[in-house]
Amino acid sequence: MNPDVVVVGAGPAGISAALALDAAGAGVRIVDEQPRPGGQVYRALEQVSRNRPESLALYGDDYARGLELMTRLSASGVELSPATSVWDISIVDGRLGIGLVCDDRAEIVYPRHILLATGAMERPTPFPGWTLPGVMTVGAAQTLFKESALVPDCRPVIMGTGPLVYLFIRQMLAAGVTPALLLDTAPGHIPVPLWGDLLRAFVSAPKSLLKGVSWLRQIRHAGIDRVTGVGSIEARGDERLESIRYRVDGRTVELNTELLLVHDGVIPNSHLAMAAGCEHRWNRLQGYWQPVLDANGLSTRAGISIAGDSTAIAGADAAACSGRIVGSQLALALDFIDESRHRAETLGDRQRLERIAVTRRFIDRFYRPLEYFQTPLDPDTLVCRCEDVTSGEIQQVAALGCMGPNQGKAFTRCGMGPCMGRQCGNAVSHLFAHCHGKEVDEIGHYRIRSPIKPITVGQLSRLDLD
Amino acid sequence: MFKRIQPVDKPVHLVFEEQPITACEGDSVAAALLAAGVTAFRQVARGDALRGPYCMIGNCYECRVEIDGKPNLQACQQRVRDGIQVRLQRGLRKPGERDEP
Repeated sequence: MNPDVVVVGAGPAGISAALALDAAGAGVRIVDEQPRPGGQVYRALEQVSRNRPESLALYGDDYARGLELMTRLSASGVELSPATSVWDISIVDGRLGIGLVCDDRAEIVYPRHILLATGAMERPTPFPGWTLPGVMTVGAAQTLFKESALVPDCRPVIMGTGPLVYLFIRQMLAAGVTPALLLDTAPGHIPVPLWGDLLRAFVSAPKSLLKGVSWLRQIRHAGIDRVTGVGSIEARGDERLESIRYRVDGRTVELNTELLLVHDGVIPNSHLAMAAGCEHRWNRLQGYWQPVLDANGLSTRAGISIAGDSTAIAGADAAACSGRIVGSQLALALDFIDESRHRAETLGDRQRLERIAVTRRFIDRFYRPLEYFQTPLDPDTLVCRCEDVTSGEIQQVAALGCMGPNQGKAFTRCGMGPCMGRQCGNAVSHLFAHCHGKEVDEIGHYRIRSPIKPITVGQLSRLDLD
Repeated sequence: MFKRIQPVDKPVHLVFEEQPITACEGDSVAAALLAAGVTAFRQVARGDALRGPYCMIGNCYECRVEIDGKPNLQACQQRVRDGIQVRLQRGLRKPGERDEP
């Protein structure tokens, strides 16, 4: 049976959208790569609350709040397909089709509409030595903590900035792990032009701001060395990370560590939307591609809507609001509800989104991506982890006249490995922009093609084509 | 690099490169290996550098391993099962390598 709507991604946006559609009477199937719903933000939440409820407190209040969504999802008529990847979205025989794969079974589903809620991913941070085992993202360590209650068995070094860094450190302190050092890449003080934004953010959401201040105070009291203004970092080691070397205030500091966790903010997970042909535009302030959408969350491709953090980063609460609004809008467009019901059921969420946007404006302007990671100029730094292509090779082909990332593939294979450019895409576009004296949006991004997840011939051969 | 703060209540037994590992039901293969002290998951295609998990959400493909003879599986996306044989992913797949065990 083909559902009315396939929702991709069972995080706060996807679940909220699916529930809104289900409540309106639409047939909904929600697919997610993880074995359980929740997305990255509520990852393993059901498992934690069932198997070790006493440890829920370690993760903070915001985590447990996601349980309500999961309870409502399992009580609803929404069909959940966990552990399922999407490998294609295309028009097949004039019909909008979405290719799914679960274990060894591939299938193509033909819904009336597709709603993408693919969430966010951490911005990749290329720097010398970032490929050594022992260098991971903060989010990776947090995933291990949520899913398997793993914590570092050493005192890790944390580098980067953004709310997730402070949340993670607070979770580690609760679990008895004290990081040795925080190399904070945010400015040491709030610049004067941002004072107005900060004041408006405080008036709009005093609790969120005070929560942030209390996290910073806890970090200071825990005795974690916090260094601001770090301009560069290098990870060193033979077969794994052994030490780091960073520059601050004109001097070089070297420190032994076996675990370095890096985080430079999150960006929309836009691979699937790009492969489906949805137009994207470059967000200069936060350095990411975001889909071009109309006021109803509809992309430039007919039959495809996008909601939550995969439209622009705003966090879990905003994602849930966005999911409910886009879900309701789809229910309206597919004639399951009328205009007045749609307006009534989305009014509160629209107002809430406006309030969140005020806080977001300050966060986006204060926690800017670090130029050192965005444009990794050190020639030996690997930008493409899959095909082992260095920044120097990209700069070399740019000097030969190669104009951008798509042509660059032919010279270097950069972006052609299994991750399909998810890790190197932004760095490569920045490097071409740098070499040619252009902006990133003039250079463009990789052309993303299906299958966007590797699929075997064996899986394809079992495809049931009617 | 990592340790467990909860006891393993439902043990699952697997093998990584001849080394027996006890994991916890529900673990990803990546979490099980990291908790057992494994840092290197794959060897790159160009050269002999070693790599391990970077993103843990299925995006970076650095945690690829071979499981029961099936190459290039993302350890962060695979769940542990009793008796699985996990190996370092060595370079690229070779022509003639079989997909199914």
